[in-house]
Parts: sequence; C-alpha cells; structure tokens
Amino acid sequence: MTTPKTFQEMISRLHEFWSKQGCVIVQPLDLEVGAGTFHPATFLRAIGPEPWSAAFVQPCRRPTDGRYGANPNRAQHYYQYQVILKPSPNDIQEIYLNSLRALGIDPLEHDIRFVEDNWESPTLGAWGLGWEVWQNGMEITQFTYFQQVGGLECKPVTGEITYGLERIAMYLQGVESMYDVLWTEHEGRRVTYGDVFHQNEVEMSKYNFEHADIEHLKHLFSNYEKQCHELIALSLPLPAYEMALKASHTFNLLDARRAISVTERQRFILQVRKLTQAVAQSYFDAREKLGFPLLQGK
Amino acid sequence: MSKKINAGESALDFLVEIGTEEAPAKMLPNLASSFCDGIKNGLMQAELAHDSVIWYATPRRLVVIVRALITQQPARHIVRLGPSKQAAYNQQGEPTPAALGFARSCGVDLKDLGFKETEQGERLYFEQDQAGAATHTLLASIVNEALKKLPIPKPMRWGATDTQFIRPVQWVVMLFGQNVVQDPVMGMVPTQHSYGHRFHHPGSIAIKEPSTYQAQLLDAKVMVDFNQRKNIIREKILECASKLGNPVIVESLLDEVTGLVEWPVALLGNFDSKFLVVPQEALISAMQVHQKSFAIQDKNEKLLPYFITISNIESNNKQTVIVGNERVIRARLSDAEFFYTEDIKHALDHFVEQLKSVVFQAKLGSVFEKTTRNKQLAQKIAQLIQANPVHTERAAFLAKADLMTNMVGEFPELQGIAGYYYALLAKEPQHVALAIREHYLPRFAGDVLPETLEGCALSLADKIDTLVGIFGVNQAPTGDKDPFGLRRAALGILRITIEKKLSLDLRQLLEMAIAHYHVKLPNEKVLDDTLNFIVDRLRAWYSTQGVSADIFAAVHARFPTNPLDFDGRIKAVQHFKTLPEAKSLAAANKRVSNILKNQTNNQEKVNPMLFESDAEKNLANLVQTKQAEITTLYQAGNYHQALTELASLQTPVDQFFDTVLVMADDASLRDNRLLLLSQLRNMFLQIADISLLSEQG
Repeated sequence: MTTPKTFQEMISRLHEFWSKQGCVIVQPLDLEVGAGTFHPATFLRAIGPEPWSAAFVQPCRRPTDGRYGANPNRAQHYYQYQVILKPSPNDIQEIYLNSLRALGIDPLEHDIRFVEDNWESPTLGAWGLGWEVWQNGMEITQFTYFQQVGGLECKPVTGEITYGLERIAMYLQGVESMYDVLWTEHEGRRVTYGDVFHQNEVEMSKYNFEHADIEHLKHLFSNYEKQCHELIALSLPLPAYEMALKASHTFNLLDARRAISVTERQRFILQVRKLTQAVAQSYFDAREKLGFPLLQGK
Repeated sequence: MSKKINAGESALDFLVEIGTEEAPAKMLPNLASSFCDGIKNGLMQAELAHDSVIWYATPRRLVVIVRALITQQPARHIVRLGPSKQAAYNQQGEPTPAALGFARSCGVDLKDLGFKETEQGERLYFEQDQAGAATHTLLASIVNEALKKLPIPKPMRWGATDTQFIRPVQWVVMLFGQNVVQDPVMGMVPTQHSYGHRFHHPGSIAIKEPSTYQAQLLDAKVMVDFNQRKNIIREKILECASKLGNPVIVESLLDEVTGLVEWPVALLGNFDSKFLVVPQEALISAMQVHQKSFAIQDKNEKLLPYFITISNIESNNKQTVIVGNERVIRARLSDAEFFYTEDIKHALDHFVEQLKSVVFQAKLGSVFEKTTRNKQLAQKIAQLIQANPVHTERAAFLAKADLMTNMVGEFPELQGIAGYYYALLAKEPQHVALAIREHYLPRFAGDVLPETLEGCALSLADKIDTLVGIFGVNQAPTGDKDPFGLRRAALGILRITIEKKLSLDLRQLLEMAIAHYHVKLPNEKVLDDTLNFIVDRLRAWYSTQGVSADIFAAVHARFPTNPLDFDGRIKAVQHFKTLPEAKSLAAANKRVSNILKNQTNNQEKVNPMLFESDAEKNLANLVQTKQAEITTLYQAGNYHQALTELASLQTPVDQFFDTVLVMADDASLRDNRLLLLSQLRNMFLQIADISLLSEQG
C-alpha cells in the first residue's frame, strides 16, 4: 500500500479497512470528552455479554494539555481513531498490523513493537492490560484488553485499539509540527492542520487556563452530578451517562484553572467514578431488560 | 533434585513452549525461571527422573526443556494416613464423610481400608503398590500446575474464554521425544507447530524434537535463550559504540531490552549537540526511560550526541528505523531541554515555597514542614559530626525544592540530581549542592554513600525524620508494603553511621526528631518502635554479611544504641569467637549467668579472707587487676583488645570451676564467691553477653 498523503485520506483508509473487518463506523460523540474510551460506543458497549465491533474518530479535549498553539506535539484538542472489537478476536494483533499496512507502514521496513503498557482510568472505574505499539521508537497506538469497566468485569473481553492520528500523520508526512500536517490538497490548494485548528488552540487555551468561570463551573459540576443520580434513579442510563461526561469535562476545566487542590482532586475523581459506576450498572440492567438484543446473531 | 536414570530405563527429551502475545519485558526471566522450577517440582513429585532442565524466554514464548526424561514412571509404594478412628465412624458406627472422602481419594472402598496404630492413635490407613504411569500421560497436568503457580501480578482474560494468563496464549507446543503430547494445556491442544519471528518468519515451524528446537527457531530469526540474547545485545552495543566512546549500560535496562526483542539489531543514531547544555543525567534518563536506548560517553564520562537503540528487525531500509528513532529522541530531548530552561528561570528558593502544597503524609503535614524539621535536625547532626552547620542547614532548606521542578516531574529518578545542578547555577556553595544531591543516598542496597559530611548529616536527618513521623502515626511497614521506604531508610542510617564512622547515638537523634514534630505523634511508643525497627534492620544487615545470629545476640543483649559502637562490639566478638579460649569462656559465662540468676547478694566487696583455695584467690586477684585495665579499654571503645585481654582468664576460670564449689553451705563463703563471679561476668558484659555465643560456627 502507498502512504496516504493527507490527514483525511488517512482517516478514510482506516474507515475503509475497519469497515471491511465488520466494524460499525459510528460518528464522533458530540460532547466534550478526554478520550475515545468515553464514547458510549466504547464505554457502554464494553459492558455486558453483547458482541460489538465499531470504529470511529473521536475529537478529544484535554484542557491541561493546551499550549496556546505553541507546542508542535501537544494540544488541548486532538483526534483519536478508535476501534472496538468485542469479544477480542484471536488474531486481533494481526488484524491491527494489517491496518498499519493499509496506511503504507511495512513492518519489514519499520521496527514495530508491542511494549507493555497497562491502562487505568480512575474516573471510569476501568482498567485493562495491553501495550503501546511502537513504530521506530514512537508510540503510535494504545492497545488494551479491557478487564473491568465501570467497576464491572468484562465478559467477554473487549479489545480497544486507539491510534494517535496527528502523530501518525506527522510521521507519514515527515513534518515536525502537527500544525504542518497536510489536511487535504485539491487542485494545488493546500489546507493544513494549522489552517483548520491553530486559532482554536490559541483561543481555547486562553479560555481553559485564564477565563473559564470557576464559580460557574463548580456550580455546573454539582448540578451534573445531582442530575446524573436522579436519572439513574429513573433508569435512564444514557442521559445519566451524558451528565457524567459533562461532570468529567467540567472537572478537567477546573483542573486547568488550577481551582482544585491536591486533596480536593481525589474527591472529585471519586465523585465522577461513582457516577460512571452507577451508570454502568444501570446500563447493564437496561440491556438485560431488553434481553441483550445484540446477542441474537441476526 | 533430579533422580538418576538407571541403566535399562528409556528416556526422551521433553519440550513445552507457551506461545503468547508480547509478554511484559521486565517480567520475562522471572516468569520463565518460575515455570522451569514449577516443572522440576512436578517431575520430582511424580518421581520422574531426568537430566538437566533449562528455560528459554522471548517476548512471545516461555519455554522449558527437560533433557532425558524417563518414559515410564517407576512403580511406587503408596502409604497414606486418613482420619482417626473417632473421626472415621460416628457413635452409631456409621462412616463419616471424612472417612468416605479419604477412601474415595485413594480409589478404593472404605471396607478395604484398615486402621494403623500411630502416635496420634488409630487412623485409617491405605497402602498400595502402584504401577507407574507412562510419563507422557502425566506431562500436561505437571505443565498446567506449573503455569498456575507462575508469579503473574495481574493475570488477564481475553476474548470470550475464562483462561487467565500474563497475555493471551496463541499456541502451545509440547513434544516428548518426537511425539506431540496432546493433552490440553491452558485449554489448548498442543501441537508441534511453533512460530518464528513475527515479521521475518510469520509461518509455522514444525519442531522435529526438543533437541532441534533452539536451532530451528534460530533459523526463523528467534534467539530463544534469554541470557545468550542479552550477552549478544551487550556485545552489539559495545561494538556499535566502539569508535565513539563507552556506552552507558544499566543492567536493568539491558534486561528489559532483551525482553523486548527476539532478533536484536543494534542501530546507532545521533542528535543535535545543542542539547548537551542540559544536565547529562536528564538526557540519559530521557533516552533510557522513554526510548529504552543506550547513551554513549567519552572517556571522561561526558555525554556524546549519540545513542544506540536495539530494534527487533533486520529492516529492509535501516535508515528508516534510525531516522524514526532520531525523531523521537529529538522530541524527548527537546522536552528535557524545555523543562530545564523553564526551571532555571527561577532560583531554587522559589520552589521551596511551593512545597507547602505537597502532602508528605496526611497526618504529618506538607513537605515544606518536613523541610523545616529536616533543617533543625540536620543542623544539630552537623554539629555532632563536625560538618559545616550553615551549609547543612542551607542544603536542608533547598533539598526538596527540585520536587517542584518540571525536570523531576518528568523524570522522578532525577530528584537530588536536578537540585544539585540548579543549586550550582544559583551559585550556592559546592557543598550545599553536593549535600542536596547526596541526601537521597543510599537509594538501594549496595548504593554509594554521601561523600560530604554535610550530605551525611542531611541524609541522616531526612531519613530519621521520616522514620519517626511514619512510626509516629502507626504506619509501620507490613509484609511487602513499605510505601515510605522505611526499611531502606533505616539501612541507610546504619550504613552511613557505620561505614562513615560517625559516632551518633540513635536514641538521642530520635528524641530530637520527635521533638521537632509540632503535632503530637499519636503513637506513644514511637521512640522504642523506631529504635527496635532500626535494630532489626541491623540484624538483617549483619546476617547478609555473614555475622552469625549468636554474635549479634551477644552484642544486642547490651542494646548499644550507637551503630558505630555496636559495630565495634560485633567485630570484637567476631574476633573473640575465633580465639581458642572462647568456647570455654562462653560456657563459663553461661554457667555464671545461670548461677546468678536466682541469687541476690548484698555484699559489696570481695573479701579475700573468705577464699579457701588457690584457684579462687588467683581468679580474684586477676579480676581485681584486670578490672581497671578492661574499664579503660572499654571506655576507649577498644572492645577488640578488651575481649582479647579477657580471653586470658580462661585457664583461671576453668580451674576455679574445677576446684571450687560455689554454692557452699556457709552463706558468707557462698556470697563471697557469687560476688566474685558477678564481677567477672560484668567485665564481659560491658562489651557483650558472651554466654549467648553458640558452639557452632
């Protein structure tokens, strides 16, 4: 395979590849989240016995990673490409390596390595074992076998593959800054990642670090938290989950504003964890009530 | 121990290979050797004789090969004891579940079992000559048992199976001679098909027999032998660096890298020398920790702008791999450079204030408060050991500041080292900077100690403050949980005082440290608990140095609280024990100690008029003349000479016991003798309780 020349071509290649593997290509979640794992297509679908394969791009927001657009490798907004395979197939590594080949990365030329890296998300009450995948010493993918999600044992186990899109694109295109990544090119008109996102990085960094209204955010946090519990009591896990995600992002903003002390931090994390665990259980119960529809192989 | 194979018995090699997805590199050797031990143990239990047993390990396989394993288990005479008669039948004479269960486990009916008289009364009894099984029928269960016992800290599940292992199992090869053992292992049916290098040889390889395994895998670009692969990597690194300088090879990193590759290829890369302004420890850490690469230094141990990385592929375009790694290294070094330039915008003092927000321990306040206590204690210790108290205090104030720097945030192992560089940049005196660097020493068993006295004072203060605080809030280490590293801290205190010959009294230091805590420590016994803990570490330390337990006990009986003084006594007793007189004097001391145990004596001075025999007069004279001499030697701390002098009393003491009856009927005679003996014993006791020496060793 040839190397995709643009950012968007790279994404289409991955879509095409994973589509052929039987994945549901879902669209990004329209809420602020810190990682693709928060997408309901990952977090919630990993719960319970139903099989599920999906792939999607997820924009991720990590306010503390903002660098005002000045750092070539780090930003408060970036993209993950996430693949979810449940149950994890026996040849999952081989399939993944084929996806690299589809991106023009030949493992006989590049040094591809699976290096131990275990994953844990305290706010999601989730952990898993796996690797970071190295290409010539650079981490390009996070590869995880979920063992627990929302405090529930994963049975069967979900395999999660998360590509760092900007990084891989920088590498494939041989540029030193993510803002120089070619997003698309048409009839000589070039649009770069910087054209699309640089201003956003500058302004959002200012907002995240300097202007986000702390009092308001604290108020929002408790509101989201309260409503999440109420919704769980009403057996509405999906809206409850949205509240938990909003609470989580609010916490991240407060963190970026340095409005949370070390001891408070732990308390916030535990609160969010409580929400996601309650949501997980509620979601499981709701699916069970529906008779785990996806179990019926149609 | 493996049993010998007798002539006429046939034997074959046995191979088991567990093929997995990439296992955690750092655990590989331990897992494989445990696997090997487990199999050896299983073979021993089953009484299967064999020759050597070896293990191999790569990221994708754990392998054990047993050479010349007997093909037929020998006949065995089985003897088993079951429940007692009372437990086997109830009052109605009906068999109990315990009895029935025992019979079932022996594979017979209960009525076929008899009773046997034992020390615990009559018990159900089973005896049978059992024909041996064919070895190949026993192998899978031996392997499965061994796998179950592997020290896997976090076993995982995958797919829809319930099997648990370190990483998903992909294949199992199990060969006995040329035959496949097909009984399931980890829920999989073994075959003879192994797999080579993931990319160079993705197809399967039919293993002919265990003895050809290593060579067949080598053809498929897998070096299966962990230690051999490690040595090859070391040689490749040395060769790669040879024209430039000396590679920095940390053993643990070399082990990890060995665990990451099946087919090591060393590649040399370089980076922009502009990064060399950053402290080289930071650059080396960046290369080692994140990139698992090896740095190269010149003959003056100055870092060169090169690195060596070990790849797992003979790339069809080596340059791709090199350039890729250079890119990552460049980004890593840029980070280190960024942290450095950010950090040095401020003087170290600036960071001290921020320590107020860092919790040392929930009940013990912030690291800033610890810094304040360290300052007070370090300064007092500095005065006691003739270190510069001003420099020590300054170093104590700055010692923890680097915890707040970007550099240490990124590379925690640079704590102290970053502080050292930043202190020098801030024009702090050399010894202040050195003390900051040295106060974490020793970081592990066998690590170097602080070289400056200021570093010693601060290191001691920091460790003592931590010990007292954590014991003060009842958080003593338990089992393998020692989150504050108290064992290491205690050993550090001991090594510094003893090896640096610093005469310091632990009790006094601990009292000072306790007084510096502004909060009242909840543990009332904090002083004794901490002291006992440190002395326990001392016992463990001496034990690793081959000082026998009785020598330690003899000194410990006197409970000296100055480690250097303790050590002097240990050495003196060690020497004393080698003297020909020692055995008999130890026995005499024991005898005296027993005699004196239940005696009270009001007499104050020995009365020479009350002696009857020459032996006792002679001993009394000697005790009289030696006493002053011994006391002088004792006060000078010359325990070695003191005990050597005391050794000369052996003959007179023996003569005394041969001829004198201590417990005479006449009370005044008896008391006089008892007093003489107690004076004799006290001379020894000043140094150690010789009566505790054992005759062995």
